[in-house]
Amino acid sequence: MQKKVLIVDDEQDIVESLKFVLEASNFDCYCAYNGEEGLKMAKEVSPDLIILDVMMPKINGYKICRLLKYDNKYKNIPILMVTARSQDEDRLIGEETGVDEYITKPFELDEIVKKVEGYLNK
Amino acid sequence: MAKVLFVSEDMKKTKQFKEILEKNSHEFFSADNQLAAFDFIKGFTPDIIILDTQVKGFDLKAVNKKIKSYGDNVLTILLVGEETIEQELSKSANAFLQEAVSGDLLISTINANLRTKNSLEMLSSSNQELARSLYQLNVLYNTSSQFAGTLDKNRLLDIMVEGMDKSLSFGLSCALTFRSENEPVLIITSLYQISDRLLEALKLRTILNYKSLFKKNEIPFELNLENLKIEKHIKQSNKEFDFSVLRYDNMFTPINMSENFFGFIEIYRESEFTTEDATCFQTLAQQVSLPLKSASLYEEIKKTNQKLERLERLKSEFISIVSHELRTPLTAIKNALDILLSGKTGALTEAMDNFINMAKRNVVRLSGIINDLLDLSKIEAGKMDFKFLNTKIEPVLEYVKTSLNEVAKEKKLVLKTKIEDNSTDIYADAQRLEQVLTNLISNAIKFTPEGGEIEIGTKIVDAKEIKYNSIFESELKNLSGKYLMVSVKDTGIGIAQDDLGHVFDQFAQIENSLSRKVGGSGLGLPIARQLMDAHNGAIWCESELEKGSVFYFVIPVAEGKNNFLLNLKQTIQKSKVKNSPVAIINIKGEKEIIDRILEEKNLINKNYLNNSVIEIEDNSTVLSMIISDGDKFSADFLKKKLQGYIHSISGIYPNCAIMYSYAVSPQDSTDEWELIKKVQESYVNIRE
Repeated sequence: MQKKVLIVDDEQDIVESLKFVLEASNFDCYCAYNGEEGLKMAKEVSPDLIILDVMMPKINGYKICRLLKYDNKYKNIPILMVTARSQDEDRLIGEETGVDEYITKPFELDEIVKKVEGYLNK
Repeated sequence: MAKVLFVSEDMKKTKQFKEILEKNSHEFFSADNQLAAFDFIKGFTPDIIILDTQVKGFDLKAVNKKIKSYGDNVLTILLVGEETIEQELSKSANAFLQEAVSGDLLISTINANLRTKNSLEMLSSSNQELARSLYQLNVLYNTSSQFAGTLDKNRLLDIMVEGMDKSLSFGLSCALTFRSENEPVLIITSLYQISDRLLEALKLRTILNYKSLFKKNEIPFELNLENLKIEKHIKQSNKEFDFSVLRYDNMFTPINMSENFFGFIEIYRESEFTTEDATCFQTLAQQVSLPLKSASLYEEIKKTNQKLERLERLKSEFISIVSHELRTPLTAIKNALDILLSGKTGALTEAMDNFINMAKRNVVRLSGIINDLLDLSKIEAGKMDFKFLNTKIEPVLEYVKTSLNEVAKEKKLVLKTKIEDNSTDIYADAQRLEQVLTNLISNAIKFTPEGGEIEIGTKIVDAKEIKYNSIFESELKNLSGKYLMVSVKDTGIGIAQDDLGHVFDQFAQIENSLSRKVGGSGLGLPIARQLMDAHNGAIWCESELEKGSVFYFVIPVAEGKNNFLLNLKQTIQKSKVKNSPVAIINIKGEKEIIDRILEEKNLINKNYLNNSVIEIEDNSTVLSMIISDGDKFSADFLKKKLQGYIHSISGIYPNCAIMYSYAVSPQDSTDEWELIKKVQESYVNIRE
C-alpha cells in the first residue's frame, strides 16, 4: 500500500512541486493550504508523514506540531518542518515542539524526497 | 547723642542728672517706679540705663533682667552708695559710679561707654556681613560644582533655584522655562502655600514679564494662560502667601542658554535685598547659562544617536524581512526548474536543457546573495549567534578544500596547503571560520586564470611580527599577543594598489566589471571582515596586478584572556540588542578561595549565572564573572554577597579581594566599543 504524505503550506506552488516529486516517487499525497485545514486533514487522513510550513495564517506550523505531538494518537507521525527562517531560536522552538527534521528554504526537492523515503521505507 | 534712662526714686538726683545730661545734648528719660521702667523699656530701647542701687521701693534685679532681655546693646551703669550690692547685679554692669558723682565724671563715663558700644556694634555688623558673604560664596561655589555634574536642563534649573534659596533665603521664586517649544512651565518654589488668586496673579505677571523681554514680533515661543503649566514646590503647608507677597522686595533676571533665551526667574523676599544679594543672584543666573548649552547639545546628540540607531535597526530588519520574503518564491522557481531538469516531465532538447540550467544557475546565485545579505544584516544588528569553542584549523581547512576541489580542478588550478602549525587551539566558531575560508578560496579560484596555483598556509605568529600595508593600519594596530595566521595566495589577476583599501567595503566589488563576470554578491569579503572582527581577529591583503594576491587573516590563540574577552564582547553586544545591563566582577586571591567561592552554590547560584561566563585564569588565582541578562540589581546583590563572604573568611585568606566590578547598562554608552575597551583595560590591569 502507498504511504500517505500530508503537505501543509500556504504557498500553493511549493505544495504543487512537492506533490509532483513525491507522487513520482510513489507516495500518496494530501495537500492543505492553511493551518486549520492541515490540522483537520491530519486527523482525518492519519498520514504516515507530514511536511509542514512554519509561517501560515491562523494556526502556524509550531502550533500544529505541538497539538499533534501531544496527542497519543498522532505523536508517532514524523513531521518535517519547512521554513524560510534559519535563526537558531526558531530551531529551538522546533525542538521543543517535537519537530523531527528541519528543512530551510530554498531546499532541494531531491533532498526532501530522500528524507521522506528515509522515514517511510525502512 | 544717646538716649539715657535714669531709674531712681530720688527726685533731687533725677533733676540733677537731667540737667547735666541735657546740657551735654543727651536725651534724658526717667522712671521712679518699677512699672514705669518696664513700660518705658517696652516702648523703645534706650542706649544707656543708669540704675540707682539706693532704690528701695522696687526690685532692681527684675528691672535689670528685663533690660538684658532686650539685648546686650543696652549699657548699664550702676549708681552705688556705701553698701555692697548683689553680685548678680554688679556683674551685669558696664560701669559703676559713686552716688556723689561729679557732672564731668558722669558725662565722661557715659561718653567712653558709648564709644565702646559703637565700635562693638560696627565690628559685629561687619562680622555678620562677612559671614553672609562667605556663606553666599560657598553656596555659589557648591552650586557651580553641581552644575558641572549634570546634563539635564531641568535639573540644572532646579540646582540654580536651590542655590538662590540657600544664598538669598527667598520667600517665593517663580522661574519660567520651556520644556519644549509649546510647553512653558512656571516653577514656583515657595516657603508657604500659594492662594488661588495669588497664583492667578503670578501667572499673569509671568506672561507680562515674558512679553516685556522681547519686541512685539520677536517673541520666540507662544505663552498664554492656557498653555502655561505650573509646577509647585511648597516647603511649609501650614501657612499661605497672598497678595501681600507682591509687596516684598523682588529681583528679576532672564536666564540665557549661551546666547539664546531660556527662561527667567523672579524672587521675592520680605527683607530688602542688598547689593551683594543682587550680585549673587545675577552670578547664579549667569553661571547656569553654559551648562544649559552643553545640556542642550547633549540632548541633540542623544536624539540624533537614537534616530541613527533606529534607522540602523530598521535597515537590518528590512533586509531580513525582504530576504525571507524572497526565499519562498525563489524556492518555488528552483523546484519547478529541478522538476523540469529531472526529466520526469518529459525529455528536454539540448537547448532547453541549456537554458533551464542557466535559469537554475542564476537562482542559486540569487540565493547566495540573499544569504550574504542576511548574514551581513545579522552581524551588523548583533544578532548573529556565534558558538565559540576551542577549535583547530586543520579540519576546517580540509573540509573547505574538499568541497572546493572539484571547482578548482575544472579550472585546472593546483590547490596546495602549507601547514606550519596544526596543534594550537584557537577560540572560534568553526562554521563561521569555514565561511571565511570558503569565501577567500573561492575568490582565489574565481580570479585565477586556468593553470594557476593557490596556496593556503597556516602558522602561529606574534602580533609584532605581522607585516602589512599601512592602509590596513586601523585593522591591525590593536592586535597583541599570539595569533594563528591563515593565508590564501593565488596567481590571479591581482588588485590595483588604489583599490586595495576598498576590497573589504560593502558592495565595492559590484562596481567591478570583472566581479560581475565571475559572479558573487560582492559581500563575501565584507562578511569575512565582520566575522573576523567578531573573533577579535583581523583580515587584510596584499596584491600585485597580473601577479596575484595574498589574503591573510588572524585569530587569537585560545587562552584565558582571549576567550574571556571574546565572550565579553558577545555578551555586551547581545545585551545591547536586548537592552539589558552587563556586570563584570573580578576576584583575585589564592587558588583555594577561588575554588571555595566556586563551590559555594548559594553564593553564585544559577539565577545569577544563567547567561554569564565564569573564567578562571590558568593558575586559578583570578575569577572573572560576566553577569548579563539580569538587572543591575542582581549584579549588585551578587557583588555584595561575594564581598560579605570574602570578608567573613578574610582571616583565613587575607589576600583575597574583589578587585574590580563594573556594572553598566547599554544605554549608558553610545559606543559599545568604547565600553568594551574600558572593561578590557580593567581586565588587563587586574591580571598584571
